[in-house]
Amino acid sequence: MATYKAPLRDIRFVLNEVLADSEPLPGDEEYGADTADAILEAAAQICEEVLQPLNRSGDEEGSVLENGVVRTPKGFKEAYEAFREGGWVGMPCAVEDGGQGMPRLLHNVVKEMFCSANLAFGMFPGLSNGAYAAIRAHAVEELKRAYLPKLATGEWTGTMCLTEPQCGTDLGLIRTRAVPKGDGSYAITGTKIFISCGDHDFTDNIVHLVLAKLPDAPEGIRGISLFLVPKRLPMADGKPGVHNGVSTGALEHKMGIKASPTCVLNFENSVGWLVGGMHKGMRCMFTMMNEARLSVGMQGLGLAEVAYQNARDYARERTQGRSVSGTKDAAKTADPIIVHPDVRKNLLSIRSFTEGARVMAYWTGRLLDESEKHPDAAKREAADELVQLLTPIVKAYLTDQGFASTVTAQQVYGGHGYIREHGVEQFVRDARIAQIYEGTNGIQALDLVGRKLPQNMGRLLRRFFHPVDTFIQANGTEPKLAEFVMPLAKAFAKLQQATAQLAEKGLKDPEEAVSGATDYLRLFGHVVMGFLWCRIVKLAQAKIAAGNDADGFYAAKVMTARFFIERVLPETDTLFRTVLAGRKTLMEMPAEAF
Amino acid sequence: MPAPKLKIGRVGVIGSGVMGGGIAAHVANAGVPVHLLDIVPKDGGNRNAVAEGAIQRLLKTDPAPFMHAGAARLVTPGNIEDHLDRLGECDWIVEVVAENLAIKQEVYKKIEAHRKKGSIVSSNTSTIPLQNLTKGLPKSFAKDFLITHFFNPPRYMRLLEIVAGPSTKPKAVEIIRDFCDHALGKGVVDCKDTPGFIANRIGTYWIQAAINHSIDLGLTVEEADSVAGRPMGIPKTGIFGLLDLVGLDLMPHVSKSLLATLPEGDDYRRIYRPQALFEKMIADGYTGRKGKGGFYRLAKGADGSRVKEAIDLKTGEYHVAGKPRLESVEAARKGLKVLAEHPDKGGKYAWAVMRDTLAYAASLVPDIADQVTAVDEAMRLGYAWKRGPFEMIDQLGARWFADKLATEGKAVPSLVTAAAAAGGFYRTQDATVEYLGTDGAYHAIQRRPGVLLLTDVKRGKQPIVGNKAASLWDLGDGVACLEFHTKMNAFDADLLGMVKKAIDTVTKSYKALVIHNDADNFSVGANLGLALFAANVALWPAIDQLVDQGQKTFKALKYAPFPSVGAPAGMALGGGCEVLLHCSAVQAHAESYIGLVECGVGLVPGWGGSKELLTRWATLPGMPKGPMPPVAKAFETVAMAKVGKSAHECRELGFLRPTDGITMNRDRLLADAKETALKLAKKYKAPEPPVLNLPGPTGVAAIQLQVEGLALQGKVTTHDQVVVKELAKVITGGDDADHIEPTSEDKLYALERQAFMRLVKTEGTLQRMEHMLTTGKPLRN
Repeated sequence: MATYKAPLRDIRFVLNEVLADSEPLPGDEEYGADTADAILEAAAQICEEVLQPLNRSGDEEGSVLENGVVRTPKGFKEAYEAFREGGWVGMPCAVEDGGQGMPRLLHNVVKEMFCSANLAFGMFPGLSNGAYAAIRAHAVEELKRAYLPKLATGEWTGTMCLTEPQCGTDLGLIRTRAVPKGDGSYAITGTKIFISCGDHDFTDNIVHLVLAKLPDAPEGIRGISLFLVPKRLPMADGKPGVHNGVSTGALEHKMGIKASPTCVLNFENSVGWLVGGMHKGMRCMFTMMNEARLSVGMQGLGLAEVAYQNARDYARERTQGRSVSGTKDAAKTADPIIVHPDVRKNLLSIRSFTEGARVMAYWTGRLLDESEKHPDAAKREAADELVQLLTPIVKAYLTDQGFASTVTAQQVYGGHGYIREHGVEQFVRDARIAQIYEGTNGIQALDLVGRKLPQNMGRLLRRFFHPVDTFIQANGTEPKLAEFVMPLAKAFAKLQQATAQLAEKGLKDPEEAVSGATDYLRLFGHVVMGFLWCRIVKLAQAKIAAGNDADGFYAAKVMTARFFIERVLPETDTLFRTVLAGRKTLMEMPAEAF
Repeated sequence: MPAPKLKIGRVGVIGSGVMGGGIAAHVANAGVPVHLLDIVPKDGGNRNAVAEGAIQRLLKTDPAPFMHAGAARLVTPGNIEDHLDRLGECDWIVEVVAENLAIKQEVYKKIEAHRKKGSIVSSNTSTIPLQNLTKGLPKSFAKDFLITHFFNPPRYMRLLEIVAGPSTKPKAVEIIRDFCDHALGKGVVDCKDTPGFIANRIGTYWIQAAINHSIDLGLTVEEADSVAGRPMGIPKTGIFGLLDLVGLDLMPHVSKSLLATLPEGDDYRRIYRPQALFEKMIADGYTGRKGKGGFYRLAKGADGSRVKEAIDLKTGEYHVAGKPRLESVEAARKGLKVLAEHPDKGGKYAWAVMRDTLAYAASLVPDIADQVTAVDEAMRLGYAWKRGPFEMIDQLGARWFADKLATEGKAVPSLVTAAAAAGGFYRTQDATVEYLGTDGAYHAIQRRPGVLLLTDVKRGKQPIVGNKAASLWDLGDGVACLEFHTKMNAFDADLLGMVKKAIDTVTKSYKALVIHNDADNFSVGANLGLALFAANVALWPAIDQLVDQGQKTFKALKYAPFPSVGAPAGMALGGGCEVLLHCSAVQAHAESYIGLVECGVGLVPGWGGSKELLTRWATLPGMPKGPMPPVAKAFETVAMAKVGKSAHECRELGFLRPTDGITMNRDRLLADAKETALKLAKKYKAPEPPVLNLPGPTGVAAIQLQVEGLALQGKVTTHDQVVVKELAKVITGGDDADHIEPTSEDKLYALERQAFMRLVKTEGTLQRMEHMLTTGKPLRN
């Protein structure tokens, strides 16, 4: 059976040392180091003691549809109850709505733990948070009053209903209709598929946010609107009343996250209310979507972390063969497999990812906080722009590397990773979806190259490239850092060249640019990681020099950084070439020749 | 080539309305004194008030009718009661009074009584036939009389239609044609004495046809304009946008006068259709941009932003203007015929408008003009069409056009039948263009002496060398011409590379170099978009290298062993200005707008611009002594990003030397530049490097004091202060300069480069660059 221990030591390092250079933001004063620490301890406890033990059973049992009603696996409803009581649902929600008003940074930390402990479970509050954010940003007062407290306290949960059988990525094709009823409400009719947590037995009501088209809507993506459609219509006292014509047609049978019910939802003349303006659905949807994309990135990180812990433990215990450099444990018939270079390579490739990605993910959380609360408007804007730039990278890079990490962890187990007993194969299956939903990673790459690069003549890029350039200028000549910063400088130069060339190509022939998009995103992700690892090393070296490394934590950081810089970052050389290989290698073959 | 001996030494303009005032101003622009006469106001008082008021108004009009302040002083106001004797001094008298035959003839009688013998009289009428104007007047008057029809505004519109009567002396026509061509820079087109002459005859028909078909085919205003604009080779305003621009209320007047004078059976009578909606709009004051709005208007949106609205032709209600994306408009990139054949409503519309208009135009030759070339030229210069009607028929294919007219049961004008048989209205024969005459034979297009067009030079030839940014052409007589052809003629590494290549080539094999192109603008400067993107991704070495490359290239141009002559027209900004500053001489079109605008985007000139301008002022005879005066002059011009609004103003700002030439007619610019180049080549010696005594830190302090004063008055923004501080450091020679020690040219190049690189890394500068690129306006941050 798999186990999980929240990596609090490393989390504290990121929070208190790597990201410590920022001053507390207005409104976040009460989330000082002590409070944050208490939250981390409590989150670790519920994750380790309540959520993680349900992960395997949830996977085996799955959510099921019985008589038109979804039943979640045994223990999930009780776990949700405890979770809700603890105030974990409303972490990022406003205090006035009954939430915790927690900084995004801290929320990201806790989210990582949920993802490690029980990804399927973690999706329920995640969707509620997304619905909450969209309603808060775009709905009229009346709807906000009625629904925000329910979502913030977890009394009800939320969903996002976008996909239909004939449309996934291209939402301009939706067919669900919204007809004005004359009283300010609309009758919603249509079928939605792939609706995560679309129905369940946790709460007695669910708030669906549904994309639909008004009768006179313009064609395509500019003609879609967003509606709030409750499963049951609230009565005057706010309690759920009559059913609202929303039914669960079927549950999908999936590769992973089996405890999370993925529903086909049918809406039949269901009463809904407009959220945001008419035909402004995409804008509202993006409020949820951007949030969701960052959260999905956390899933890649969380699963890689838990996979690493288990593979590491296994590698220490499992004995097979002898070390090439001579027997390490003569008392046993074989050495633990952690003596083998290839096993170490597997473990270090995961660890160098998780520890760098953790900084990337939390940093994004911190930037989100800054974008909302920083007293200086220019700083708010700059932070927002950097988040926009990093969002597709966090989503795609973290889930691609996250999935790869679970497979690598599985590899450490040999055949024992392929059977269910050790639980590592579940991580592989669960991690796979994160590369797909909320915009496939191919779409993320298009977003980065097609939208984020050219936006405001490259202004978003400035928010990343300038600090990195400054860092390299300031630290490149430091002898102790040179072995890390010089390779970063090389990779950064490749990224600069690739960016400039892609932008120039994109102006002339967009297909030329998007043909390199996926590799470009990976190149970019590696450079972000390289930059963060260099910052980590700088901190760690200072600690070591000051004699503050009794437990070898900082020494391990330096060694992990070295692995990343010397064994992962060089991939940027290859990516630079493939990014610029252009459209020909992809487009010259006629479709019928495939 | 010098202008022929001018016989017009003084001009009289009678009538000081928009057109009369504009004509007077433009004659003054040519350096010729003008008497501007108008009526005596009825209220007594200042008897010259009308003409004086007109001059005041001209000075405030934007775009400016005068090319420089001095021109206004050449216009002497007067009235037609007290100052008729002044007409006796005039070689040419232009009547620009109300379009009323009785009033005009009254004026002619006065003119006839006072003008000197042999002087020429012309009317700017657009509606009254010449034969009516001269009716009843003495033969001596008719001999000296013709119509000169200017377009509004006279300084900027290049077309001039000339109509001579049967009695008009050919000599008089020749003199006016020469004067208007050389001195006023007009494209002179000879017309017959028929209603609306050429441009308005066809233009009015075209507008009516376009309105009719948009209503009949059910196109919205936005859709119609998206088709009958750029895709058809017509200014992007389209029809409805054009009506807004000129004023809806003008159209009924034009229609009325045409209907009164057009021959029976003219097709305009058939298609003329008054619109109730338009009449209501005019009555309600919706006359276009000058009124409350027109077919389009700018309304305040809910969030206070300005929203463009368009009118619904059926209901007369305004709605937020759509951005139509008709497939036919996309397809039009592939050619006019693809547009005309496209099955969507845009294609149908384009075809219907072209079919009627082009057939109408073809039916009018030779009635309104002797040859098709005159019609094409009139429509190009007068209505800014990219191609005239006969050139459009050639684009469609004359055979195809004739067949399609026939298939649709329309009459095929005989001229079109002839062109279809011959293979088009134009053909290229041995690198010269020939047109199909009304005699059925092809004739070579004859340029007037002293006209040299780069398109003619290029036709059928290969450049000496070239790349995607620029090409070097052989002008003959040992002179080469470097043509830029990037987007907006912006500078990039390729363009600089080609400048270098041109220098090497001319050094080896030619006597002189002319830098010229026939785009709207000579060059708008460095490619800011590329620079901003490079800056955003911190590609500093690439930017630094580009600055260095530009400096080295321009320096090589300056010290080349052959003379270089810059021949700009339109905008020459930033790098476009800097290349001119490094030329041995400049022959500028009068409509040249030159300036170092880098400070506007938060930079300083990086390719020797500040250095050259400083040198100009420092070496100008008569500058006050001491190191500060030239520094102050150059600093002010660059810091305020001043742009000359005409070649004359550019000279005042120091961008042109007193010895640099100005050409009024753009078609004569290249020939003039070539002649200058050959003259210089006779005994050319590269210039000596300048010796500049610059004040150094004391100069910076003096400038700083001034800037701080301006900052206190709120005239200098936060980032302005950062930028001008860097500029001051450059122009004063840097921290270690001292006016006793000369500062070298290379030192100034280095200072420019350092200041440029420091500024391009600042957030304020990057914001300015982005703002300029996205809005086209400078950011005041």
